[in-house]
Amino acid sequence: MKAFSPLFLLPIAAITCPAYGIQYLSIEQAQAALYPQSSKFTENFIELNSEQKQQIEEISDVRQRWKQQKVWNAYKNDEFLGWFIVDKVIGKHEFITYATAISSEGNVLNIEIMDYRETYGGQVNEASWKQHFKGVNKNSPLELEEDIPNISGATLSCRNVTNGVKRLLALYEVALKK
Amino acid sequence: MKNKPLFIATVLGSLTMSSLATNAVAGENLLGYTKGAEPLPKGSLEFYQTLTQRTDKGQGSYTALDSFTELEYGVSNRFTVSGSLIGRSVESKGLIIGGYLPQERSLGLTLSGFEATAKYAFLTPALNDIGLSTSVGLEYDTIDKHSGQDKETISVNLGLQAQKYFMDGQLVWLGNLDMETTHATRAEIAGINDEEEWPTIPEMEIGLGVSTGLSYRFTSNWSLGAETIYEIEYETEVGQERWSLFAGPSIHYGDKDFWSTLTFLSQISGGGETYENQPDSNLHLIEKTKQEVKFKIGYNF
Repeated sequence: MKAFSPLFLLPIAAITCPAYGIQYLSIEQAQAALYPQSSKFTENFIELNSEQKQQIEEISDVRQRWKQQKVWNAYKNDEFLGWFIVDKVIGKHEFITYATAISSEGNVLNIEIMDYRETYGGQVNEASWKQHFKGVNKNSPLELEEDIPNISGATLSCRNVTNGVKRLLALYEVALKK
Repeated sequence: MKNKPLFIATVLGSLTMSSLATNAVAGENLLGYTKGAEPLPKGSLEFYQTLTQRTDKGQGSYTALDSFTELEYGVSNRFTVSGSLIGRSVESKGLIIGGYLPQERSLGLTLSGFEATAKYAFLTPALNDIGLSTSVGLEYDTIDKHSGQDKETISVNLGLQAQKYFMDGQLVWLGNLDMETTHATRAEIAGINDEEEWPTIPEMEIGLGVSTGLSYRFTSNWSLGAETIYEIEYETEVGQERWSLFAGPSIHYGDKDFWSTLTFLSQISGGGETYENQPDSNLHLIEKTKQEVKFKIGYNF
């Protein structure tokens, strides 16, 4: 009989290790943070056809993974304030969930990180980083280390959130713009 | 059980990891052998434990275990330093190879040396089109990893690591170039005075390695990978001593607290020196084995 190697116990230990994630905001909390003056949100989920997906990719140069985009219309009484969009992008280990507010003119009002479970880069949820998205639109470069600063150790997350916002601005052009 | 101390340490370590995973890790190795080019952020400290089991030389019974216990520190956002303690274990029966395995050996896991490494990232894969880093390492070892006999070895390792993201980082390509220069002196073994069986004259070796692999994240936290490694080694006495090509799959788990990678490699082909009556003449089985299993775990502090 071959000697038992303890090497094979380690994967079990690895798999049983607990993981901790941070869910910063629920949908309602993110809506309240991005549109504090809003009195009503109406669901307006967008089902993209293949042509629209292609258009979004051509405009943004970013892959449109999802067929459905979760969009809400934000109102203050009957006044339309803009769109509230919940989106996901790839982080180093898991998807990063974030919300973006886009005005009726196509400007980003701000973003909120809703769920971030990465080792480094918790600073993505700090106002000092998120504020760089305020006012960006289809004419903005939206490039890491150009108009959006990088966070060391979370470069992939920063790049993908930045590209995600770029893609949502293309979604605005293709499917939301009135 | 022959590896009782290691077994106890593993169980205790496992329980500790399971209960203390609060701030843990990742400077993440997606594959077992081919390294990435991503630097650690400034001020971060990571702990790694790597165990490599090498088995089967085609004749008799051969099992060796290499242990690397490592701490890595981010000096800046591009420059990291690390230090490792090396442990070796060798169980060899029924196979004697002149100059390499001079006698049967049963060596339990023993602290045998250390390694210091510095790594600098020129380009990072998420920011630039491709990530590129270089590393230099100095290794001092007192046990021959093949035979388990006493052997003083000083090695300098130079490496170049490349990394490219595809599909927003869901698919990652890794490639390494490595060169290792070694000065080694075998200690005398009581009862063996034949230089053919166990040469004690110092030797110099140069090893070159090329490896490449892909890692694909098929669901949150979990990635499947495959890699291949080509190694060739030249030595003062015999010129080209060996070459080998290994390939195999990896499975990787990573979250914000820790990561681990399990890799199985099989020798596809090899050449150079062979031992007498070696059954698999298309493999190099003197310094290499038919299979290797590597397990890595990393924690962040």
